[in-house]
Amino acid sequence: MKRLGPYVLIALVIVACSWWIVVAQAASDLPKVDLNVNAAGPRPVEDTTEQALQRDYARAWSSMEIALSQNRADVLDADFVGVALDELKDRVNQQQQSGLHTRYVDHGHKLQAVFYSPEGSAVQLRDTVQLEVQYLDGDKVLHSEQRTENYTVVMTAGENRWKVRVLQAAAAQPE
Amino acid sequence: MGRILMIVTIVVTVLLLAAGTLGAHGSSANLSTPDGVVKALFEDVGSKNWKAAYQLLSNKNAIDLPTFIRQAGGSDGDLRMVSSITKVTPKILRESDTEAQVRTDLQWTTAVGAIYGTRDLKTVKDGKDWKVEWPVEQQAKVPPQVIPVNFLRWDIVTRGADDDWGAQNVDAPRVRIVSMNAVEYEGGTVILGEIVNEDTVPGFVSVNASLVGKDGKTIGEESSFDKISHILLPKEVSPFRVDFPGVKLSAVKNVRMQPNSLLVPASADPTIGVLNQRFETDANGRKVLRGEMINESGQTVNIPHVLATFYDNSGKVIWVSDGYVDHALLPRTPQSFTLGLRPDIADKVQTYRVTVNTYSINRQQG
Amino acid sequence: MRIIQYALMLAICWFAAYVARAADVQAPSHAVAGNDVSLPTSGSGNATLFVFGPGTAIKKEVRLGDHVTLPLKRAGRYSAIVNGEQVQFDVAAAAPSDIAFLARPSRVPADRKDVIAGTVFLFDNNHNLVTSPTPVKFDLMVEGGQPQSRHVQSKDGVAYIKLDSGRKAGPAQFVATVGAKSVKRVVEETASDPCNLRIHATPNKDGLTVETDPVKDCAGNPVPDGTIVTITATSPKGRSTVDARIKKGIAKADLPPLQNATVSVAAGVVMGNEIHVGGGM
Repeated sequence: MKRLGPYVLIALVIVACSWWIVVAQAASDLPKVDLNVNAAGPRPVEDTTEQALQRDYARAWSSMEIALSQNRADVLDADFVGVALDELKDRVNQQQQSGLHTRYVDHGHKLQAVFYSPEGSAVQLRDTVQLEVQYLDGDKVLHSEQRTENYTVVMTAGENRWKVRVLQAAAAQPE
Repeated sequence: MGRILMIVTIVVTVLLLAAGTLGAHGSSANLSTPDGVVKALFEDVGSKNWKAAYQLLSNKNAIDLPTFIRQAGGSDGDLRMVSSITKVTPKILRESDTEAQVRTDLQWTTAVGAIYGTRDLKTVKDGKDWKVEWPVEQQAKVPPQVIPVNFLRWDIVTRGADDDWGAQNVDAPRVRIVSMNAVEYEGGTVILGEIVNEDTVPGFVSVNASLVGKDGKTIGEESSFDKISHILLPKEVSPFRVDFPGVKLSAVKNVRMQPNSLLVPASADPTIGVLNQRFETDANGRKVLRGEMINESGQTVNIPHVLATFYDNSGKVIWVSDGYVDHALLPRTPQSFTLGLRPDIADKVQTYRVTVNTYSINRQQG
Repeated sequence: MRIIQYALMLAICWFAAYVARAADVQAPSHAVAGNDVSLPTSGSGNATLFVFGPGTAIKKEVRLGDHVTLPLKRAGRYSAIVNGEQVQFDVAAAAPSDIAFLARPSRVPADRKDVIAGTVFLFDNNHNLVTSPTPVKFDLMVEGGQPQSRHVQSKDGVAYIKLDSGRKAGPAQFVATVGAKSVKRVVEETASDPCNLRIHATPNKDGLTVETDPVKDCAGNPVPDGTIVTITATSPKGRSTVDARIKKGIAKADLPPLQNATVSVAAGVVMGNEIHVGGGM
């Protein structure tokens, strides 16, 4: 029995570490967003603003993916406002009425800031996102594909975070 | 056995009741000494036992009970009314057979921290006991009059919830830190400076500061709390002081200042004049800044808060002192104040500036 | 004969396969948000059409071979699916008819460079961002002052401008115009820091009344009432200060009787003149 003691301890440590990794992983389950602010103007983007934009845009996409997958409009209010919020709520409502879902597997965003308003309350960005999209009717997969989408995004400063106000798919932009 | 226990309980209860009743001047009352009677007086004042305290006065013909209560216990919603005495330390300065001079250090506990005071009281022998000759404060009587209130007031109408995205809201006032100095004091770091409201509207202002260590990490974050005039009218300048106890100045590589302002309704009233400011030495030999405040409005200021900024000969802020005055500022009635000055910087002070924060219970925001 | 029979069977099989494969939907040639979008379908029989897009998730029974008309208001990328086959198409924004106009700040000091910022986002009548280049006009006018006007081309749905505040204080009308649509904002141009701050003193029965000249900024705009003007009197006996408030353009303070005193004035970080009162030099 004494000889088992160290092995039990090691087993406990492994279990604890595994649990911690799982929890940490779940907590950081936001899409990967690679933000470039070098081209933004007329106002230069501050370091803190850059970090906030990156974090809040990732959160917005995470909320959107949950909303469209589970048909839950309530998760959108924290990250979306204005036109973008209305659009997503309409989409969720229509999906609900027809029993449809949309599932995204997000493989990452290349986000470029192209405009930062002089007083610092609005930012326009271009997003190139790699996605796997599944359209479902109930449990039946209607169509599934990998694709690259381009979005024009406008985010505005809210109470304590940046919110997406416009999320409009665009044709691919020349570099 | 039960009966004996019952009898013992009754006897002890009666004794305790008697002790409580007879000990009307507190368990430590000793009226046969000058310092004892002074201590008893302030203990009665502290427990708001006014009649008992009044009985200890030798000059009851010069001051009636209501006036004594007002002078000792506070009035007009001032800070004294909501304070309690926590420490009374009398010391006999001079004594003869019939009279004595007693210096008493007092500590009051208030909602805004401890207030310290020193009073010199004359005591006289009255039979076997000593009594206190209460110094009657002569208050200037302001004649009844009508004082028109015609100072500016600011109210705010903000944007509605259904206003469109681009609709403007009224912006918070522009404030700017005009000077900043980091000093070491009692093993900690203190950030001193001044902030000005550059705008044309009043604001509620605070100053936050973060200390960054040599490794780039934040080693302290604090706010100015009440070491600032929070309501700043247009072009008003306030000192600020942010204390970081326990953080050595040598560990600080950088200081990040964050002034914050909120647009608030306010009034340009009251105007407080600070007159006859001068340095003096108090009874304990400390250098202090004294002066008189005068409330030029018609409404009582319940709690005045005095802030003093001290500058060296290059105009740099080298210290900010503050103190609450526990007497209300009545209209057009001078009220004195005393602020301590750090002995180690007294020689370096070239000039100073005094401002007064005002808190009034009944006044609408302002 | 047998060869012809086999060839005919092959042809029939190929034709059947062709018909089966051709039961799908095509992208519309040109779609603009707010107009009905027509989706051509081919094949025969009934099928279920699914359309996913911005603000849209439609499930609809259709007759293959007919054109399906859908009212799509939102610009963006759509996916239409029939029988597992998907086609993507873009719906473009319509002409701009709505403006989101951000004018900041709400108050600025007069006579300063590049202090007023205007940003316009262009939308069509269905709130879609119009990214095609569009001319935007910005106008800034304050009564009695010099009007300013600028023309800017929008890029990706945004146009912005930075303008100077005028010398004259007052509410400035800041207008953004796109086509027939105008949006107005008001920017309050306020007096700047006091300029040429001057005081004079008059004895009264209780001491001294110190009064400023009318307080104005360097452009001649009166500094607003309520502004703090600090009057300080320094004498051998001590110092007295009053944070006076400007009332009807003037700040005034009553001081006690002074001997050999210097009286000075300041507003914010601006100092004024000094006067000597009470004799002695």
